Amino acid sequence: MSTAVEVATATPPPARRRLRMKHPWPFVGGLALLCASGVLPLLFMAFTAFRTQRDWDNSRIGLPTTFSFGAFQRAWTDANIGVYFRNSAIVTVSTVALTVVCATLAGYGFSKLRWRLRGATYLFVLSWIAIPPLLLMVPIYVEMVQLGLLDTYGAVIFLYTALNLPFNVYLMTAFFRSVPDELIEAARMDGAGIHRIFFRVMVPLARPPLATLVIFNVLWAWNEFLFALLMLQSDSVKTLTVGVLQLQGRFVTDYPALMAGLLITSLPVIGAYLVFQRHLVRGIVAGAVK
Amino acid sequence: MFIGYPFGSIVYHAFTRWDGIAPAQWVGLHNFKILWHDPLFLRSLRNNGIFAISVPIQVVLPLLVAYIIHRRVPGWRFFRSTVFLPAVYATVVIGILAATVLQLDGPLNQTLGSVGLTSLEREWLGSSSTSLPVILLVLVWTNFGYNVLLYLAGMSAIDPSLEEAARIDGAGWLRILFSVITPNLRRVLEIVLVVNTITAFAFMFVYIYTITNGGPGTDTYVSEFYIYQQAFTNQNMGYAAAIGVTLVLIVLAIGVLQIRILTRERD
Repeated sequence: MSTAVEVATATPPPARRRLRMKHPWPFVGGLALLCASGVLPLLFMAFTAFRTQRDWDNSRIGLPTTFSFGAFQRAWTDANIGVYFRNSAIVTVSTVALTVVCATLAGYGFSKLRWRLRGATYLFVLSWIAIPPLLLMVPIYVEMVQLGLLDTYGAVIFLYTALNLPFNVYLMTAFFRSVPDELIEAARMDGAGIHRIFFRVMVPLARPPLATLVIFNVLWAWNEFLFALLMLQSDSVKTLTVGVLQLQGRFVTDYPALMAGLLITSLPVIGAYLVFQRHLVRGIVAGAVK
Repeated sequence: MFIGYPFGSIVYHAFTRWDGIAPAQWVGLHNFKILWHDPLFLRSLRNNGIFAISVPIQVVLPLLVAYIIHRRVPGWRFFRSTVFLPAVYATVVIGILAATVLQLDGPLNQTLGSVGLTSLEREWLGSSSTSLPVILLVLVWTNFGYNVLLYLAGMSAIDPSLEEAARIDGAGWLRILFSVITPNLRRVLEIVLVVNTITAFAFMFVYIYTITNGGPGTDTYVSEFYIYQQAFTNQNMGYAAAIGVTLVLIVLAIGVLQIRILTRERD
Protein backbone atom coordinates (compact mmCIF):
# COMPACT_ATOMS: atom_id res chain seq x y z
CA MET A 1 0.00 0.00 0.00
CA SER A 2 2.72 2.47 0.89
CA THR A 3 4.26 2.29 -2.57
CA ALA A 4 0.89 3.07 -4.11
CA VAL A 5 0.67 6.15 -1.88
CA GLU A 6 4.02 7.29 -3.16
CA VAL A 7 2.91 6.90 -6.75
CA ALA A 8 -0.27 8.80 -6.19
CA THR A 9 0.96 11.74 -4.13
CA ALA A 10 4.43 12.52 -5.33
CA THR A 11 5.70 12.89 -8.84
CA PRO A 12 9.44 12.36 -8.44
CA PRO A 13 11.28 15.70 -8.59
CA PRO A 14 13.70 15.96 -11.49
CA ALA A 15 17.25 15.43 -10.38
CA ARG A 16 18.29 19.01 -9.87
CA ARG A 17 21.38 20.84 -8.92
CA ARG A 18 20.29 24.42 -8.61
CA LEU A 19 22.46 27.22 -9.90
CA ARG A 20 23.64 29.50 -7.19
CA MET A 21 24.35 33.21 -7.29
CA LYS A 22 27.94 34.34 -7.33
CA HIS A 23 27.38 37.40 -5.19
CA PRO A 24 24.19 36.72 -3.29
CA TRP A 25 24.57 39.20 -0.43
CA PRO A 26 23.03 42.33 -2.01
CA PHE A 27 20.01 40.22 -2.95
CA VAL A 28 19.82 38.71 0.50
CA GLY A 29 19.83 42.23 1.95
CA GLY A 30 16.96 43.28 -0.30
CA LEU A 31 14.93 40.19 0.52
CA ALA A 32 15.56 40.68 4.23
CA LEU A 33 14.16 44.22 4.04
CA LEU A 34 11.13 43.02 2.13
CA CYS A 35 10.45 40.26 4.62
CA ALA A 36 11.01 42.60 7.55
CA SER A 37 8.19 44.75 6.20
CA GLY A 38 5.96 41.68 6.50
CA VAL A 39 6.83 41.21 10.17
CA LEU A 40 6.62 44.91 11.02
CA PRO A 41 2.80 45.09 11.37
CA LEU A 42 2.92 42.18 13.79
CA LEU A 43 5.55 43.94 15.91
CA PHE A 44 3.68 47.22 15.82
CA MET A 45 0.44 45.57 16.93
CA ALA A 46 2.18 43.62 19.69
CA PHE A 47 4.18 46.54 21.10
CA THR A 48 1.24 48.91 21.00
CA ALA A 49 -1.17 46.38 22.52
CA PHE A 50 1.06 45.97 25.58
CA ARG A 51 1.37 49.71 26.08
CA THR A 52 -0.99 51.73 28.22
CA GLN A 53 -3.25 54.46 26.97
CA ARG A 54 -0.91 57.02 28.55
CA ASP A 55 2.09 55.56 26.72
CA TRP A 56 0.24 56.02 23.45
CA ASP A 57 -0.79 59.57 24.27
CA ASN A 58 2.82 60.49 25.05
CA SER A 59 4.29 58.99 21.93
CA ARG A 60 2.91 57.01 19.01
CA ILE A 61 5.88 54.75 18.75
CA GLY A 62 7.97 53.07 21.37
CA LEU A 63 8.20 50.14 23.70
CA PRO A 64 5.76 49.59 26.55
CA THR A 65 6.92 51.36 29.71
CA THR A 66 4.96 48.96 31.87
CA PHE A 67 3.95 45.57 30.56
CA SER A 68 0.18 45.90 30.60
CA PHE A 69 -2.48 43.38 29.69
CA GLY A 70 -5.18 46.00 30.18
CA ALA A 71 -5.68 46.57 26.48
CA PHE A 72 -6.39 42.88 25.89
CA GLN A 73 -8.88 42.88 28.73
CA ARG A 74 -10.69 45.94 27.40
CA ALA A 75 -10.82 44.47 23.91
CA TRP A 76 -11.82 40.95 24.95
CA THR A 77 -14.66 41.83 27.33
CA ASP A 78 -15.70 45.48 26.93
CA ALA A 79 -15.52 45.40 23.16
CA ASN A 80 -16.94 41.91 22.70
CA ILE A 81 -13.86 40.55 20.95
CA GLY A 82 -14.32 37.33 22.90
CA VAL A 83 -17.76 36.81 21.38
CA TYR A 84 -16.52 37.72 17.90
CA PHE A 85 -13.67 35.29 18.31
CA ARG A 86 -16.10 32.48 19.10
CA ASN A 87 -18.24 33.44 16.10
CA SER A 88 -15.24 33.48 13.78
CA ALA A 89 -14.22 30.06 15.07
CA ILE A 90 -17.72 28.62 14.51
CA VAL A 91 -17.99 30.08 11.01
CA THR A 92 -14.48 29.04 9.99
CA VAL A 93 -14.69 25.49 11.30
CA SER A 94 -18.13 24.89 9.75
CA THR A 95 -17.11 26.40 6.42
CA VAL A 96 -13.95 24.34 6.25
CA ALA A 97 -15.73 21.12 7.19
CA LEU A 98 -18.57 21.64 4.73
CA THR A 99 -16.29 22.72 1.89
CA VAL A 100 -13.84 19.89 2.35
CA VAL A 101 -16.56 17.22 2.48
CA CYS A 102 -18.36 18.57 -0.60
CA ALA A 103 -15.13 19.08 -2.55
CA THR A 104 -13.88 15.57 -1.80
CA LEU A 105 -17.15 13.95 -2.83
CA ALA A 106 -17.39 16.09 -5.95
CA GLY A 107 -13.76 15.55 -6.88
CA TYR A 108 -14.23 11.80 -6.66
CA GLY A 109 -17.40 11.98 -8.71
CA PHE A 110 -15.79 14.12 -11.38
CA SER A 111 -12.72 11.93 -11.72
CA LYS A 112 -13.49 8.30 -10.98
CA LEU A 113 -17.21 7.81 -11.53
CA ARG A 114 -18.78 7.79 -14.97
CA TRP A 115 -22.08 9.56 -15.46
CA ARG A 116 -23.92 11.51 -18.10
CA LEU A 117 -23.07 15.22 -18.45
CA ARG A 118 -20.02 14.80 -16.22
CA GLY A 119 -17.80 16.95 -18.43
CA ALA A 120 -20.41 19.67 -18.86
CA THR A 121 -21.16 19.83 -15.13
CA TYR A 122 -17.47 20.04 -14.31
CA LEU A 123 -16.97 22.96 -16.71
CA PHE A 124 -20.05 24.66 -15.28
CA VAL A 125 -18.66 24.40 -11.76
CA LEU A 126 -15.23 25.65 -12.82
CA SER A 127 -16.63 28.63 -14.70
CA TRP A 128 -17.62 30.21 -11.38
CA ILE A 129 -13.95 30.70 -10.55
CA ALA A 130 -13.95 33.52 -13.13
CA ILE A 131 -16.83 35.55 -11.64
CA PRO A 132 -15.73 38.07 -9.02
CA PRO A 133 -18.17 37.31 -6.19
CA LEU A 134 -18.10 40.82 -4.75
CA LEU A 135 -20.01 42.07 -7.76
CA LEU A 136 -22.86 39.77 -6.80
CA MET A 137 -23.33 41.35 -3.41
CA VAL A 138 -26.72 42.87 -4.15
CA PRO A 139 -28.54 39.73 -5.34
CA ILE A 140 -26.82 37.53 -2.78
CA TYR A 141 -27.99 39.88 -0.05
CA VAL A 142 -31.56 39.78 -1.35
CA GLU A 143 -31.41 36.01 -1.67
CA MET A 144 -30.34 35.67 1.95
CA VAL A 145 -33.20 37.91 3.06
CA GLN A 146 -35.63 35.74 1.12
CA LEU A 147 -34.21 32.55 2.59
CA GLY A 148 -34.48 34.01 6.08
CA LEU A 149 -30.77 33.43 6.65
CA LEU A 150 -29.80 37.06 7.14
CA ASP A 151 -28.02 37.63 10.44
CA THR A 152 -27.32 33.95 11.06
CA TYR A 153 -24.13 31.90 10.89
CA GLY A 154 -25.81 29.91 8.12
CA ALA A 155 -25.72 32.86 5.72
CA VAL A 156 -21.96 33.18 5.69
CA ILE A 157 -21.22 29.47 6.10
CA PHE A 158 -23.26 28.48 3.04
CA LEU A 159 -22.02 31.47 1.08
CA TYR A 160 -18.32 30.89 1.83
CA THR A 161 -18.74 27.24 0.95
CA ALA A 162 -20.42 28.09 -2.35
CA LEU A 163 -17.78 30.69 -3.23
CA ASN A 164 -14.84 28.43 -2.42
CA LEU A 165 -16.14 25.17 -3.83
CA PRO A 166 -15.16 25.68 -7.50
CA PHE A 167 -11.44 26.03 -6.72
CA ASN A 168 -11.58 23.26 -4.11
CA VAL A 169 -13.40 20.90 -6.47
CA TYR A 170 -10.82 21.67 -9.13
CA LEU A 171 -7.94 20.72 -6.81
CA MET A 172 -9.60 17.51 -5.59
CA THR A 173 -10.57 16.42 -9.09
CA ALA A 174 -7.01 16.99 -10.29
CA PHE A 175 -5.71 14.95 -7.37
CA PHE A 176 -8.10 12.01 -7.77
CA ARG A 177 -7.29 11.88 -11.48
CA SER A 178 -3.67 11.24 -10.54
CA VAL A 179 -4.65 8.17 -8.51
CA PRO A 180 -4.11 5.12 -10.73
CA ASP A 181 -7.27 3.24 -11.74
CA GLU A 182 -5.53 -0.07 -10.93
CA LEU A 183 -5.86 0.75 -7.26
CA ILE A 184 -9.64 1.01 -7.54
CA GLU A 185 -9.72 -2.09 -9.71
CA ALA A 186 -7.83 -4.03 -7.05
CA ALA A 187 -10.20 -2.90 -4.31
CA ARG A 188 -13.17 -3.83 -6.46
CA MET A 189 -11.67 -7.32 -6.96
CA ASP A 190 -11.62 -7.61 -3.19
CA GLY A 191 -15.35 -6.97 -3.24
CA ALA A 192 -15.49 -3.30 -2.21
CA GLY A 193 -18.36 -1.12 -3.47
CA ILE A 194 -17.95 2.50 -4.55
CA HIS A 195 -18.65 3.82 -1.07
CA ARG A 196 -16.19 1.50 0.51
CA ILE A 197 -13.58 2.33 -2.09
CA PHE A 198 -14.17 6.01 -1.45
CA PHE A 199 -13.83 5.88 2.32
CA ARG A 200 -11.22 3.15 2.67
CA VAL A 201 -8.97 3.86 -0.31
CA MET A 202 -9.47 7.35 -1.68
CA VAL A 203 -9.92 9.44 1.46
CA PRO A 204 -6.81 8.08 3.21
CA LEU A 205 -4.80 8.74 0.04
CA ALA A 206 -6.11 12.28 -0.19
CA ARG A 207 -4.65 13.50 3.08
CA PRO A 208 -2.07 15.88 1.55
CA PRO A 209 -4.50 17.69 -0.77
CA LEU A 210 -7.04 17.81 2.04
CA ALA A 211 -4.47 19.63 4.17
CA THR A 212 -4.10 22.11 1.30
CA LEU A 213 -7.84 22.70 1.19
CA VAL A 214 -7.98 23.16 4.95
CA ILE A 215 -5.31 25.88 5.05
CA PHE A 216 -6.76 27.72 2.05
CA ASN A 217 -10.26 27.73 3.48
CA VAL A 218 -9.15 28.63 6.99
CA LEU A 219 -7.28 31.71 5.76
CA TRP A 220 -10.16 32.66 3.49
CA ALA A 221 -13.05 32.17 5.87
CA TRP A 222 -11.31 33.71 8.88
CA ASN A 223 -10.26 36.82 6.93
CA GLU A 224 -13.38 37.39 4.83
CA PHE A 225 -14.93 40.78 5.40
CA LEU A 226 -17.42 42.11 2.86
CA PHE A 227 -20.07 39.41 3.08
CA ALA A 228 -19.70 39.19 6.84
CA LEU A 229 -20.35 42.94 6.94
CA LEU A 230 -23.47 42.60 4.82
CA MET A 231 -24.91 39.45 6.37
CA LEU A 232 -24.06 39.63 10.06
CA GLN A 233 -25.62 42.59 11.80
CA SER A 234 -26.12 41.72 15.45
CA ASP A 235 -23.26 41.49 17.90
CA SER A 236 -24.06 37.90 18.80
CA VAL A 237 -23.16 36.59 15.34
CA LYS A 238 -20.56 39.07 14.04
CA THR A 239 -17.15 37.69 13.13
CA LEU A 240 -13.82 39.21 14.12
CA THR A 241 -13.14 41.08 10.90
CA VAL A 242 -16.38 43.03 11.24
CA GLY A 243 -16.19 43.30 15.01
CA VAL A 244 -12.68 44.68 15.03
CA LEU A 245 -13.69 47.46 12.67
CA GLN A 246 -16.34 48.44 15.15
CA LEU A 247 -13.62 48.67 17.76
CA GLN A 248 -12.07 51.38 15.61
CA GLY A 249 -15.27 53.38 15.74
CA ARG A 250 -16.21 52.78 19.35
CA PHE A 251 -12.93 53.45 21.10
CA VAL A 252 -11.77 56.28 18.92
CA THR A 253 -8.71 56.99 21.03
CA ASP A 254 -8.05 53.63 22.68
CA TYR A 255 -5.42 52.47 20.23
CA PRO A 256 -3.82 49.89 22.51
CA ALA A 257 -7.21 48.10 22.72
CA LEU A 258 -7.65 48.38 18.95
CA MET A 259 -4.21 46.88 18.38
CA ALA A 260 -4.96 44.11 20.87
CA GLY A 261 -8.09 43.33 18.84
CA LEU A 262 -6.14 43.28 15.59
CA LEU A 263 -3.51 41.05 17.15
CA ILE A 264 -6.17 38.61 18.39
CA THR A 265 -7.59 38.58 14.85
CA SER A 266 -4.20 37.93 13.26
CA LEU A 267 -2.56 35.37 15.51
CA PRO A 268 -4.76 32.34 14.68
CA VAL A 269 -4.24 32.68 10.93
CA ILE A 270 -0.53 33.36 11.29
CA GLY A 271 -0.27 30.24 13.45
CA ALA A 272 -2.24 28.21 10.93
CA TYR A 273 -0.02 29.52 8.15
CA LEU A 274 3.19 28.61 9.96
CA VAL A 275 1.93 25.08 10.62
CA PHE A 276 0.43 24.42 7.18
CA GLN A 277 2.59 26.56 4.88
CA ARG A 278 4.03 23.57 3.05
CA HIS A 279 0.51 22.58 2.03
CA LEU A 280 -0.39 26.09 0.99
CA VAL A 281 2.59 26.24 -1.34
CA ARG A 282 1.57 22.91 -2.81
CA GLY A 283 -1.90 24.23 -3.52
CA ILE A 284 -0.46 27.25 -5.31
CA VAL A 285 1.80 24.94 -7.34
CA ALA A 286 -1.18 22.79 -8.31
CA GLY A 287 -3.18 25.86 -9.32
CA ALA A 288 -0.37 27.45 -11.30
CA VAL A 289 1.38 24.68 -13.15
CA LYS A 290 -1.50 22.50 -14.26
CA MET B 1 -27.55 27.51 -6.25
CA PHE B 2 -26.09 30.08 -3.89
CA ILE B 3 -24.14 31.69 -6.72
CA GLY B 4 -26.13 30.62 -9.76
CA TYR B 5 -29.39 32.27 -8.75
CA PRO B 6 -27.87 35.63 -7.79
CA PHE B 7 -26.08 35.78 -11.11
CA GLY B 8 -29.32 35.44 -13.04
CA SER B 9 -30.98 37.87 -10.66
CA ILE B 10 -28.33 40.57 -11.06
CA VAL B 11 -28.62 40.55 -14.85
CA TYR B 12 -32.41 40.87 -14.66
CA HIS B 13 -32.42 43.61 -12.04
CA ALA B 14 -29.86 45.66 -13.94
CA PHE B 15 -32.77 46.59 -16.22
CA THR B 16 -35.08 47.65 -13.41
CA ARG B 17 -35.65 50.35 -10.84
CA TRP B 18 -35.75 48.58 -7.52
CA ASP B 19 -35.34 49.46 -3.85
CA GLY B 20 -34.91 45.83 -2.77
CA ILE B 21 -38.34 45.62 -1.12
CA ALA B 22 -41.12 46.74 -3.49
CA PRO B 23 -41.54 44.86 -6.79
CA ALA B 24 -38.95 45.89 -9.38
CA GLN B 25 -40.03 48.19 -12.24
CA TRP B 26 -38.73 47.42 -15.72
CA VAL B 27 -36.87 50.45 -17.10
CA GLY B 28 -34.98 48.89 -20.00
CA LEU B 29 -31.56 50.34 -20.72
CA HIS B 30 -32.13 53.44 -18.61
CA ASN B 31 -29.64 52.42 -15.90
CA PHE B 32 -26.91 51.79 -18.43
CA LYS B 33 -27.54 55.12 -20.15
CA ILE B 34 -27.20 57.27 -17.05
CA LEU B 35 -24.22 55.21 -15.94
CA TRP B 36 -21.93 56.76 -18.53
CA HIS B 37 -22.89 60.28 -17.47
CA ASP B 38 -22.60 59.60 -13.76
CA PRO B 39 -19.48 61.48 -12.61
CA LEU B 40 -19.17 59.33 -9.49
CA PHE B 41 -19.14 56.11 -11.47
CA LEU B 42 -16.58 57.53 -13.87
CA ARG B 43 -14.40 58.68 -10.98
CA SER B 44 -14.69 55.23 -9.36
CA LEU B 45 -13.67 53.60 -12.60
CA ARG B 46 -10.75 56.00 -13.00
CA ASN B 47 -9.55 55.11 -9.49
CA ASN B 48 -9.78 51.42 -10.35
CA GLY B 49 -7.64 52.26 -13.36
CA ILE B 50 -5.09 53.95 -11.08
CA PHE B 51 -4.96 50.87 -8.87
CA ALA B 52 -4.34 48.83 -12.02
CA ILE B 53 -0.86 50.43 -12.01
CA SER B 54 -0.21 47.64 -9.53
CA VAL B 55 -0.47 45.10 -12.37
CA PRO B 56 2.84 45.83 -14.17
CA ILE B 57 4.54 46.18 -10.77
CA GLN B 58 3.21 42.80 -9.69
CA VAL B 59 4.29 41.19 -12.95
CA VAL B 60 7.91 42.39 -12.77
CA LEU B 61 9.05 42.79 -9.14
CA PRO B 62 7.81 39.44 -7.76
CA LEU B 63 9.43 37.77 -10.77
CA LEU B 64 12.81 39.16 -9.72
CA VAL B 65 12.27 38.25 -6.07
CA ALA B 66 11.10 34.75 -6.98
CA TYR B 67 14.16 34.20 -9.13
CA ILE B 68 16.49 35.27 -6.33
CA ILE B 69 14.80 32.75 -4.02
CA HIS B 70 14.83 30.17 -6.80
CA ARG B 71 18.61 30.52 -7.06
CA ARG B 72 18.88 29.36 -3.45
CA VAL B 73 20.48 32.43 -1.92
CA PRO B 74 21.39 31.91 1.75
CA GLY B 75 18.23 31.87 3.85
CA TRP B 76 15.94 31.14 0.90
CA ARG B 77 13.66 28.87 2.89
CA PHE B 78 13.08 31.59 5.46
CA PHE B 79 12.45 34.18 2.74
CA ARG B 80 10.06 31.87 0.94
CA SER B 81 7.86 31.55 4.00
CA THR B 82 8.00 35.16 5.25
CA VAL B 83 7.45 36.79 1.86
CA PHE B 84 3.87 35.50 1.94
CA LEU B 85 3.16 36.86 5.42
CA PRO B 86 1.43 40.10 4.28
CA ALA B 87 -1.16 38.01 2.47
CA VAL B 88 -1.92 36.10 5.68
CA TYR B 89 -3.15 39.11 7.64
CA ALA B 90 -6.83 39.88 7.09
CA THR B 91 -7.19 42.80 4.68
CA VAL B 92 -9.26 44.53 7.35
CA VAL B 93 -6.32 44.35 9.74
CA ILE B 94 -3.98 45.81 7.11
CA GLY B 95 -6.48 48.55 6.35
CA ILE B 96 -6.99 49.57 9.97
CA LEU B 97 -3.24 49.51 10.57
CA ALA B 98 -2.64 51.71 7.54
CA ALA B 99 -5.31 54.16 8.66
CA THR B 100 -3.80 54.24 12.16
CA VAL B 101 -0.20 54.68 11.08
CA LEU B 102 -1.06 57.42 8.58
CA GLN B 103 -3.11 59.68 10.85
CA LEU B 104 -2.12 63.32 11.08
CA ASP B 105 -0.69 62.76 14.58
CA GLY B 106 0.10 59.12 13.87
CA PRO B 107 3.27 57.06 14.09
CA LEU B 108 4.51 57.81 10.58
CA ASN B 109 4.39 61.58 10.87
CA GLN B 110 5.88 61.40 14.34
CA THR B 111 8.75 59.27 13.07
CA LEU B 112 9.37 61.68 10.23
CA GLY B 113 9.33 64.56 12.69
CA SER B 114 11.71 62.93 15.11
CA VAL B 115 14.34 62.24 12.44
CA GLY B 116 14.14 65.80 11.22
CA LEU B 117 12.09 65.27 8.08
CA THR B 118 9.33 67.57 9.21
CA SER B 119 8.85 68.79 5.66
CA LEU B 120 7.63 65.32 4.67
CA GLU B 121 4.93 65.25 7.32
CA ARG B 122 1.49 65.63 5.84
CA GLU B 123 -2.09 64.53 6.18
CA TRP B 124 -1.56 61.38 4.16
CA LEU B 125 -5.21 60.46 3.82
CA GLY B 126 -6.38 64.05 3.55
CA SER B 127 -6.10 64.37 -0.21
CA SER B 128 -6.32 61.93 -3.07
CA SER B 129 -2.88 62.93 -4.35
CA THR B 130 -1.33 61.10 -1.41
CA SER B 131 -4.06 58.66 -0.39
CA LEU B 132 -4.35 56.96 -3.79
CA PRO B 133 -0.60 56.19 -3.99
CA VAL B 134 -0.67 55.03 -0.37
CA ILE B 135 -3.53 52.61 -1.05
CA LEU B 136 -1.74 51.44 -4.20
CA LEU B 137 1.35 50.73 -2.12
CA VAL B 138 -0.67 48.79 0.47
CA LEU B 139 -2.31 46.80 -2.33
CA VAL B 140 1.02 45.86 -3.90
CA TRP B 141 2.55 44.99 -0.54
CA THR B 142 -0.36 42.73 0.44
CA ASN B 143 -0.47 40.63 -2.72
CA PHE B 144 3.26 40.61 -3.45
CA GLY B 145 4.04 37.31 -1.73
CA TYR B 146 1.23 35.49 -3.47
CA ASN B 147 2.72 36.41 -6.84
CA VAL B 148 6.18 35.39 -5.69
CA LEU B 149 4.88 31.94 -4.74
CA LEU B 150 3.12 31.61 -8.10
CA TYR B 151 6.35 32.41 -9.95
CA LEU B 152 8.33 30.06 -7.71
CA ALA B 153 5.88 27.28 -8.51
CA GLY B 154 6.34 27.91 -12.22
CA MET B 155 10.13 28.10 -11.96
CA SER B 156 10.41 24.83 -10.07
CA ALA B 157 8.76 23.08 -13.01
CA ILE B 158 11.47 24.26 -15.45
CA ASP B 159 14.22 21.79 -16.26
CA PRO B 160 17.35 23.05 -14.40
CA SER B 161 19.62 21.82 -17.19
CA LEU B 162 18.31 24.70 -19.34
CA GLU B 163 19.70 27.19 -16.83
CA GLU B 164 22.91 25.24 -16.55
CA ALA B 165 23.36 25.27 -20.32
CA ALA B 166 22.74 29.02 -20.47
CA ARG B 167 25.28 29.61 -17.73
CA ILE B 168 27.91 27.56 -19.53
CA ASP B 169 27.25 29.74 -22.56
CA GLY B 170 28.21 32.68 -20.37
CA ALA B 171 24.80 34.21 -19.61
CA GLY B 172 24.49 36.31 -16.44
CA TRP B 173 21.57 35.85 -14.04
CA LEU B 174 19.43 38.61 -15.56
CA ARG B 175 20.02 37.17 -19.00
CA ILE B 176 19.05 33.69 -17.80
CA LEU B 177 15.96 35.08 -16.10
CA PHE B 178 14.67 36.87 -19.17
CA SER B 179 15.84 34.54 -21.94
CA VAL B 180 15.49 31.13 -20.33
CA ILE B 181 13.10 31.34 -17.39
CA THR B 182 10.48 33.92 -18.41
CA PRO B 183 9.63 32.35 -21.79
CA ASN B 184 8.81 29.14 -19.93
CA LEU B 185 6.52 30.89 -17.48
CA ARG B 186 3.82 31.89 -19.93
CA ARG B 187 1.05 30.14 -18.03
CA VAL B 188 2.06 31.68 -14.70
CA LEU B 189 2.45 35.12 -16.30
CA GLU B 190 -1.11 34.81 -17.57
CA ILE B 191 -2.38 33.98 -14.09
CA VAL B 192 -0.43 36.82 -12.44
CA LEU B 193 -1.65 39.31 -15.02
CA VAL B 194 -5.30 38.32 -14.88
CA VAL B 195 -5.52 37.81 -11.12
CA ASN B 196 -3.95 41.19 -10.35
CA THR B 197 -6.12 42.98 -12.89
CA ILE B 198 -9.24 41.46 -11.39
CA THR B 199 -7.99 42.47 -7.95
CA ALA B 200 -7.54 46.11 -9.00
CA PHE B 201 -11.07 46.25 -10.41
CA ALA B 202 -13.08 43.93 -8.23
CA PHE B 203 -11.36 43.32 -4.90
CA MET B 204 -10.66 46.86 -3.70
CA PHE B 205 -13.63 47.30 -1.40
CA VAL B 206 -11.99 46.37 1.89
CA TYR B 207 -8.97 48.63 1.35
CA ILE B 208 -11.15 51.62 0.57
CA TYR B 209 -13.70 50.90 3.29
CA THR B 210 -11.08 50.64 6.02
CA ILE B 211 -8.42 53.15 4.91
CA THR B 212 -10.34 56.16 3.57
CA ASN B 213 -14.02 55.15 3.48
CA GLY B 214 -14.09 56.73 0.04
CA GLY B 215 -12.93 60.10 1.26
CA PRO B 216 -11.95 62.83 1.39
CA GLY B 217 -15.36 63.51 -0.11
CA THR B 218 -15.70 60.97 -2.87
CA ASP B 219 -12.09 61.18 -4.08
CA THR B 220 -11.12 57.57 -3.43
CA TYR B 221 -14.33 55.83 -4.50
CA VAL B 222 -13.87 52.60 -6.44
CA SER B 223 -16.58 50.81 -8.40
CA GLU B 224 -17.32 48.21 -5.78
CA PHE B 225 -17.53 50.82 -3.07
CA TYR B 226 -19.95 52.74 -5.26
CA ILE B 227 -22.07 49.62 -5.78
CA TYR B 228 -22.16 49.17 -2.02
CA GLN B 229 -23.16 52.80 -1.50
CA GLN B 230 -25.87 52.72 -4.13
CA ALA B 231 -27.28 49.42 -2.96
CA PHE B 232 -27.16 49.70 0.81
CA THR B 233 -27.08 53.43 1.54
CA ASN B 234 -29.25 54.80 -1.27
CA GLN B 235 -31.39 51.65 -1.76
CA ASN B 236 -30.87 51.85 -5.54
CA MET B 237 -30.57 48.11 -5.99
CA GLY B 238 -31.37 48.20 -9.70
CA TYR B 239 -28.74 50.81 -10.46
CA ALA B 240 -26.21 48.95 -8.30
CA ALA B 241 -26.92 45.79 -10.28
CA ALA B 242 -26.32 47.66 -13.53
CA ILE B 243 -22.93 48.88 -12.27
CA GLY B 244 -22.12 45.31 -11.25
CA VAL B 245 -22.94 43.92 -14.69
CA THR B 246 -20.94 46.66 -16.41
CA LEU B 247 -17.96 46.01 -14.17
CA VAL B 248 -18.04 42.25 -14.83
CA LEU B 249 -18.08 42.95 -18.56
CA ILE B 250 -15.14 45.37 -18.28
CA VAL B 251 -13.10 42.92 -16.23
CA LEU B 252 -13.88 40.04 -18.59
CA ALA B 253 -12.96 42.16 -21.61
CA ILE B 254 -9.62 43.16 -20.10
CA GLY B 255 -8.91 39.53 -19.15
CA VAL B 256 -9.65 38.21 -22.62
CA LEU B 257 -7.59 41.00 -24.20
CA GLN B 258 -4.59 40.25 -22.00
CA ILE B 259 -4.66 36.55 -22.76
CA ARG B 260 -5.02 37.30 -26.49
CA ILE B 261 -1.99 39.56 -26.45
CA LEU B 262 0.09 37.06 -24.53
CA THR B 263 -0.89 34.24 -26.84
CA ARG B 264 -0.09 36.28 -29.93
CA GLU B 265 3.31 37.31 -28.64
CA ARG B 266 4.27 33.69 -28.37
CA ASP B 267 3.53 32.89 -32.00
